[in-house]
Amino acid sequence: MAKSAPLRDKAHLSFTRRLLGLLSLGFLALIGAAVAVAWLQGQNEENADWVQHTLSVEAQIADFARGIERIETARRGVLLTGQPEFAEIMTEAFKATRTSLDRLDGLTRDNPIQRPRTAQLVQLLADYRQTEHEALTASLEQRRAIVRDFKTDRGVILIQQVRRVAQQMLQEERDLLAERDEMQGRTLAFFYGVLAITGLMIILVAAVTLLVMLRYTRELDVSRAELRRLNDDLETLVDERTVELQRANQEIQRFAYIVSHDLRSPLVNVMGFTAELDAARKTVGAFVDKLAEEQPDLVDKDVKLAVDEDLPEAIGFIRTSTQKMDRLINAILRLSREGRRTIAPEPIDATALTQTIVDSLQHKVTEKGAEIEIDTLPAITTDRFSLEQMLSNLIENALKYLQPGRPGHIRVTGRVDRDRTVYEVTDNGRGIDPRDHDRVFDLFRRSGMQDQPGEGIGLAHVRALAYRLGGLVDVRSELDRGSTFRLSLPTVLKAGDVDA
Amino acid sequence: MTEHQPVNIVMIEDDEGHARLIEKNIRRAGISNVIRHFTDGTTALEYLFNAPDGPAKNGPALILLDLNLPDMSGTDILAKIKAEGSPLKRTPVVVLTTTDDKVEIQRCYDLGCNVYITKPVNYENFADAIRQLGLFLSVIQVPDPEIAG
Repeated sequence: MAKSAPLRDKAHLSFTRRLLGLLSLGFLALIGAAVAVAWLQGQNEENADWVQHTLSVEAQIADFARGIERIETARRGVLLTGQPEFAEIMTEAFKATRTSLDRLDGLTRDNPIQRPRTAQLVQLLADYRQTEHEALTASLEQRRAIVRDFKTDRGVILIQQVRRVAQQMLQEERDLLAERDEMQGRTLAFFYGVLAITGLMIILVAAVTLLVMLRYTRELDVSRAELRRLNDDLETLVDERTVELQRANQEIQRFAYIVSHDLRSPLVNVMGFTAELDAARKTVGAFVDKLAEEQPDLVDKDVKLAVDEDLPEAIGFIRTSTQKMDRLINAILRLSREGRRTIAPEPIDATALTQTIVDSLQHKVTEKGAEIEIDTLPAITTDRFSLEQMLSNLIENALKYLQPGRPGHIRVTGRVDRDRTVYEVTDNGRGIDPRDHDRVFDLFRRSGMQDQPGEGIGLAHVRALAYRLGGLVDVRSELDRGSTFRLSLPTVLKAGDVDA
Repeated sequence: MTEHQPVNIVMIEDDEGHARLIEKNIRRAGISNVIRHFTDGTTALEYLFNAPDGPAKNGPALILLDLNLPDMSGTDILAKIKAEGSPLKRTPVVVLTTTDDKVEIQRCYDLGCNVYITKPVNYENFADAIRQLGLFLSVIQVPDPEIAG
């Protein structure tokens, strides 16, 4: 493997982190752009307001200037003609001028530069009103003098002053307008700058994101290809190993079969001739007895002892040993035969099957005063005979190794764990020393007190069958506390999964 | 064809002990026919087919055959005896062996074996089986071989 799994996880994590970072950067840029647009809009509106304001100030100034010119014209009319109509026009124009000056005052109240100017205008207007009054009340001579001294006419001077101030105010407003225009231009330039930067940022983020994605996808492709290759290799390897294992298994089974058969042959002789020996001993024994009766002095104690005790004892030992050997050979033979049996998977109601097993053991259960509880067990598709054999062996064992003096309680439970089905046989019996947990599954090995009949075959048989069905069996146990044997099998066994 | 020609028992058994036990128990059943014992296939076949006093040339016989022989398989001997055109085709063959493999038993019957007996390991059963075989042998009618030429 080129990369170990944690390393790949780490790479993936850093990729995710990087991508998230880039995406947040992109979003931040977008938010920045939106804020800039909103701000610019505000600025624009404000600027427009100000431009509007300046324009109305200008208009007012113009109004005012026109009014003043009108008054002056009227005054000159009065001075030249003395007609009272001009006086009316003058009063009217004065009123209009006054109103427009008030408005101007209102508009320029916020401007500290314009304010003294408006005040000055108010003052000038008031002064001018005085000259007006003089014009109206003056005699013809006086009027002629005023007309003649145009240069020194106070009204004319005032009007000139007014014109100058109005001109200044107008100039001021124009300057302001120009300033605002410039500011707006700057704002716009700034906005375009911000927009350009965020746009650039978004493009950059998009490009980098794309690059990262591409690189990651490429890495993903590479690792996927590698994974596929490894997987293929693994499958080939598994196939090869399976074939090897099957061959080895067949070899072992053949070996077990041949050995057990070949061992039987000499055993027939040993047992046969032991029987013949026993028969011969009986004949000799009868003769010795007869001799002892008829000629007691011919039979010494040693002969009697040899015939009556030594020979039967030796024969007895030979018999029990050969019988045991016979049982062991038969056990091996049975196991090897089990290994050669065809496995036929079928759907099985495990609860009913277990009930049948328990029913068949009922006399033992009653005899031991034990109690067996069967939960609802999950159904399974497997070889019926094998499952029955395994569960039967486990339950029988549980019954066999109960703790004396404690009412036996055996419980059979089951559950589905992904594609496997697990059955458990739990007892409160004498338990198994942890040292022996592996050993109990070995052929001819037993644990604890050897006070029960048996050859140590049951669990070996269970394990062989479990392996054959693609399953496992293990034990959890504590001395004096009880044991739990767990049988884990594929929920659906396919006929092809089983080795021949 | 002589009516009262005695039937020879030919025992092909590589284990001397088994042979002895078989003979003992046959005798115990009251069978006193001559028992010829061979421990390998080659000499047994030689005797069966070619010996002047062998069953092919001379008189009826009954064959006790063990399948596990050192030099050839018992089934090969069985096949030769029961082969088409063999002078011993009708000679009864009792296969007496330790093999209890179903396939092997079927094969023997297919080849023409007349009785197949698995030797029980338990001696009482073994002795019993042989004695019953003896009783069976005492009543069995054995045909004469088709003496060639």
